[in-house]
Amino acid sequence: MSAVFNAADLQGNIVRGYRKPRARYLILEVTNREWARRWLTDITSGRDNGLPQITSEAPWGDTKPDSCFNIGLTYQGLRALGAPAASLATFPTEFIEGMNARAVKLGDTGASAAELWPFPFNHPQRVHLIATIYADAPAELDRIQNLAIGDGRALTLLGTRDGAGFNGDYVHFGYLDNLTQPRFAEVHDPDRYADGQPMAPLGTVLLGYPTNFEGLLFRVPQPERLGLNGSFNAFRMLQQDVAGFEAYLDRAADDLMAHPKLDEVLPPGAEAKIGGGLSRPAALRELVAAHLCGRWRNGLPLALYPDGDQVPSDVNMTNFDYVGASRCPVGAHIRRCNPRGGQIVQRVANNSRRLIRRGLPYGPAYNPAHPDGQERGLLGNFIGANLGAQFEAMACDWLNLGLQDPRVTGSNDPLLGANDPLTSWFDLPLRSGGSIRLRGLPRFVTTRGGAYTFLPSLPAIRHLGALTD
Amino acid sequence: MADEPSWFERWVDELLNNDRFQRLAAKILVPYWAWRTAVKPQPGGPHFSMQPGDNVMRMMNLVMPLKDKSPVGRAKAALAIAQNKDEIYAGLDNVGTVHFARFVIVADNICMFSVYDGDFTNYIRDFIATIGSVFDAVVGLVEGGDAVIPSERNIEAFIDWVHAHDLYQVPDLATDLLRDQEAVNGAQPCTAGNDLRLLPRALILQLHVNSNVSLGSGYRAYPGYSVAQVRQQLGIGW
Repeated sequence: MSAVFNAADLQGNIVRGYRKPRARYLILEVTNREWARRWLTDITSGRDNGLPQITSEAPWGDTKPDSCFNIGLTYQGLRALGAPAASLATFPTEFIEGMNARAVKLGDTGASAAELWPFPFNHPQRVHLIATIYADAPAELDRIQNLAIGDGRALTLLGTRDGAGFNGDYVHFGYLDNLTQPRFAEVHDPDRYADGQPMAPLGTVLLGYPTNFEGLLFRVPQPERLGLNGSFNAFRMLQQDVAGFEAYLDRAADDLMAHPKLDEVLPPGAEAKIGGGLSRPAALRELVAAHLCGRWRNGLPLALYPDGDQVPSDVNMTNFDYVGASRCPVGAHIRRCNPRGGQIVQRVANNSRRLIRRGLPYGPAYNPAHPDGQERGLLGNFIGANLGAQFEAMACDWLNLGLQDPRVTGSNDPLLGANDPLTSWFDLPLRSGGSIRLRGLPRFVTTRGGAYTFLPSLPAIRHLGALTD
Repeated sequence: MADEPSWFERWVDELLNNDRFQRLAAKILVPYWAWRTAVKPQPGGPHFSMQPGDNVMRMMNLVMPLKDKSPVGRAKAALAIAQNKDEIYAGLDNVGTVHFARFVIVADNICMFSVYDGDFTNYIRDFIATIGSVFDAVVGLVEGGDAVIPSERNIEAFIDWVHAHDLYQVPDLATDLLRDQEAVNGAQPCTAGNDLRLLPRALILQLHVNSNVSLGSGYRAYPGYSVAQVRQQLGIGW
């Protein structure tokens, strides 16, 4: 609850997650402007009118609903709904251009190029609205989908994408995810541990509030009723090459087994601390996996537990920092994307590029005993008040260029980066202060679609529904 | 051979060296031609590149026309820089990705030339976030500047405004110039884009709408290194 904003005004999937095991994304095109406006009015009426109702941030009481329903609009969607030009011009440039046009900056090149994305994401002019259904059971997803689309006179369904957890909060590369999010003084979220990071100002995620930059405010799209309490989302469909990832760990472990400094990487007997009694090569695989990510696969951060993942349960996995000689590699995925309080080149940016991340895996769990050709990955939402200052800043300067620390500049994120095996590298730090350079990392994650969406408040959705002419 | 230039083409090629024709071209032909073939001014600054080495040591050439085009106006601009120099330099220092930056008055423009790493918008946003309204004293003297100050409250518009004053960097490769021209006009790349005979025409039309440009992306004695990499190598901290 908050005294700052009215919880019933806010879409419910922004400052907190629903923790539903399934989500379906409906990618929609406005069929008819008048009917689409009426649809927006109807999904925010709060009445039983046969359409799913937008889930707000208002408390549920004792019973969690069977499903939740939320929407995001692209710039093309706002245009299709007939938002006036003067209003459209108050949206930020990166949102107006759209995710496809920002490809090079986001590392969406080569196999990730937007031209190669499957329909409908290769037709950004037609992607107007992305509605998300969250539920426990597939039948409920179908039911809400049918209610939402109806006879199709308001919106045309261009495609769907289904996400589903397969092992709690574990994701396809086998790591425990969903461990940290920005915390807000105004939002009570009992699922979040204190993480040693400063509370995020509300303007990190909602438009119209103070940001992490002292004195600096992000522009609220006009009219105020449209922009206030809204947010922006980078929706990404990220394909994960699990077989390729595991094969790389095999190769890296083999290389390390033959390395003259092997005993410094893994002192004799230290394998007992990893994975509950693994062989040396198997322990090295896990050690490399932990260094690439910055966490062991069970979620324990290297910054706190550099020697192994065997720690009594119920530890706080989020309360750590990178000050001093942290054992977490500078190039590790979680450190690259959020440097916390560690020293970085951009002295004012330690906390200013933070994002809310909400996602679910898609595709079946990978079974190494029965390799298949199925596509799998993550349907991710990277939410913040300013796409340029947060998502894009993180993606281009930190994830892919490595500007934040001269020791990683010129390398890409080992897990998510636009890596090419001919040029990629990752430094595995040694206790002595030196490092071993791992090479030949292929691209493990390929972008298969996405869109920048505006997540309007409920009054904003009603405002769009009430547009005339 | 069919590709052999005809007498007419040879005559046309020679026209560029003819004084009388050049005067005619500048006064009548180019304006008429520009009216017939509308060309949009190219956006300023470097493209983001797939090569990491191209995304460091990038050049910003801001040319901002002063409102007051007189010695008094130029003196005001000089004073605005001088009075706020310490804060401006502190801001650049905190951005962390700026190699060099300097302020120059050229004719009735106050110019800021700098070399920076990574994304342009992050550079400008972090700069404004650090020094707040100090830079507004400079922006307020520039044509159109009032619409984007206070910059802290108009950060998106301010970044777009700065971007619009950053000079177009004429590509080092001729074919890239033709590609830029097609991109800004919303045209699909076509084979004509690689016809180098169109280069002089493309350049003249672009310079007609864009009188100040940067020629290429500039010389670097040690390309591909970030500020922090250089400072780390020199042992002066980063």
